[in-house]
Amino acid sequence: MARQAHAYHMVDPSPWPLTGAVAALLMTSGLAVWFHFNSTVLMTMGLALLLLTMYQWWRDIIREGTFQGHHTPPVQKGLRYGMILFITSEVFFFLGFFWAFYHSSLAPTPELGGCWPPTGIIPLDPFEVPLLNTAVLLASGVTVTWAHHSIMERERKQTIQALTLTILLGFYFTALQAMEYYEAPFTIADGVYGSTFFVATGFHGLHVIIGSTFLAVCLLRQIQYHFTSEHHFGFEAAAWYWHFVDVVWLFLYVSIYWWGS
Amino acid sequence: MIFATPTKVASHSGEAVQYLGANRVPDLQRLFQRSDGVPVHLKRGVPDKLLYRTTMALTIGGTLYCLVALYMASQPRKR
Repeated sequence: MARQAHAYHMVDPSPWPLTGAVAALLMTSGLAVWFHFNSTVLMTMGLALLLLTMYQWWRDIIREGTFQGHHTPPVQKGLRYGMILFITSEVFFFLGFFWAFYHSSLAPTPELGGCWPPTGIIPLDPFEVPLLNTAVLLASGVTVTWAHHSIMERERKQTIQALTLTILLGFYFTALQAMEYYEAPFTIADGVYGSTFFVATGFHGLHVIIGSTFLAVCLLRQIQYHFTSEHHFGFEAAAWYWHFVDVVWLFLYVSIYWWGS
Repeated sequence: MIFATPTKVASHSGEAVQYLGANRVPDLQRLFQRSDGVPVHLKRGVPDKLLYRTTMALTIGGTLYCLVALYMASQPRKR
């Protein structure tokens, strides 16, 4: 039986890149159909296909790594590079929204009253719920680090507890932000203040939800004994992403909530 | 979940008490490393095949639906 003479992973043929591409097609054209013809069928099909693709693609990666042993050290190095590059691209994504915020807030136009916050805007008090949110995310950074050390020290129960706590803190942040959104005295339609506020914090909130989901998957995998004390890159990737989400919030808090009030 | 853990007795705490289920990874490793030529996305048999076929049906059906919708959308409308 032929054996490969290298440590790299030659993947089995997979249909998921195709189904993912079609999902993108259906979601984008579905968006256009929704706007012009008031039908959400195509977009919903695209969303369903996207979820199916993500589930099966990542399930296969877990099978290839944990069950088939394909994630050798050089392969894991590649995965690390990949995650770092992805997070870097997300940093640039947020950089754009911060650019937009500073562009408008550093030189407020006469239409806004020549001041920031613009005339008529009642900003949120940065020392109320936003400060609590900051504490919640900082605490979750501590708990995820606790979970990591517990994995490395082969403490199964502590890992599960710390990871669960991290996820609960993530949900708490999301719930608090949702309440803030509901109670806010201004909306996304309130000029450039509303736009910059809700687009920047909104995308951040989406990333909190994505990060919480990633951590939840890691929790399920930890319960099912997938991680070893030496090899647990899926968890590390989730932790990196979570720290990134935390750092973005700190910038949002200081710039938009605090300086911007 | 946490309260389901049996109380530890000092004399019994040699090996870790089963916390939240047994380790099925070695069995799964055996399953997924069988040399049967089946690609990883179908290796588990029937559940994999069902999910794959559903996904493919949505892919092909969705593409056709999308092409029809785009064709219709590109037809000029009488004002």
